[in-house]
Amino acid sequence: MADIAFLLLIFFLVTTTFPKDKGLAIVLPEQGEETEVSQRNILHLLIQSSGIVIVRRGESQQEQQMRPQEIEGLWRQEVTANPNLIAAVKTDPDAPYKFMVDVLDALHSANAERISLQVLEN
Amino acid sequence: MGIKGAGFEKSSKASSEIPSSSMADIAFLLLIFFMVTTVFQRDRDRPIEWAAAASAQKIDEKQKNILNIWMERGGDLYINDQLYTMEQATTVVAPLYAASERALVISIRGDREVPYRYMDQLQTALVNAGVVRVVFATQLEQSMQRERR
Repeated sequence: MADIAFLLLIFFLVTTTFPKDKGLAIVLPEQGEETEVSQRNILHLLIQSSGIVIVRRGESQQEQQMRPQEIEGLWRQEVTANPNLIAAVKTDPDAPYKFMVDVLDALHSANAERISLQVLEN
Repeated sequence: MGIKGAGFEKSSKASSEIPSSSMADIAFLLLIFFMVTTVFQRDRDRPIEWAAAASAQKIDEKQKNILNIWMERGGDLYINDQLYTMEQATTVVAPLYAASERALVISIRGDREVPYRYMDQLQTALVNAGVVRVVFATQLEQSMQRERR
């Protein structure tokens, strides 16, 4: 009987997996760490409270409206044109958190590494 | 006709083997003892609706180096099962971060509907506490769901 119990025990020990937390990792800037970045290297992603993302490239005033899911393709395109590109994600203070996660998710899917999270000031 | 044991008698009749029949029982007892006395250090889950992300990755850190910060829909902040205000966040996290020798990873578990202003305030508080590694905890979004969106 003890043998069977041990076998069962070992079976469950081996097959048990603890659910590991999942998430989107980011690295926060250190306190007081501010770097000047040329406007040319910034892609502004302005998340509205409705979930629509307004995309603005650096200096140009041209704006483009997008859904969060379309950001992935956009980023892949833009980053091949300019490898130094930084994504400045500015979220409306009233926008639900999930829209920011959607955009961050899209950027992570597109292997974006340089991401800045800010709050959108009017 | 030989004499058994070449003429020598065993001086003791006691068995020289350790009895192994009760070994399994002892092992089980120990096992049960440790199972009962082990306490996992975990805070209780808050009732939040998770945000979903398809590119979510496992947090590559030991469980004890992960600090969960819960953010409920109304902007309520829970750290280790206790309610804190946004202003207290820095003073609560900073000593924990120092105690972990800067290895702590903050897992922000926000409700999907929480206004972003609270998230921004929390991030500012974390930067002030000197925290560098932060994870926005999400559920893994299935690709099926993604296509449907």
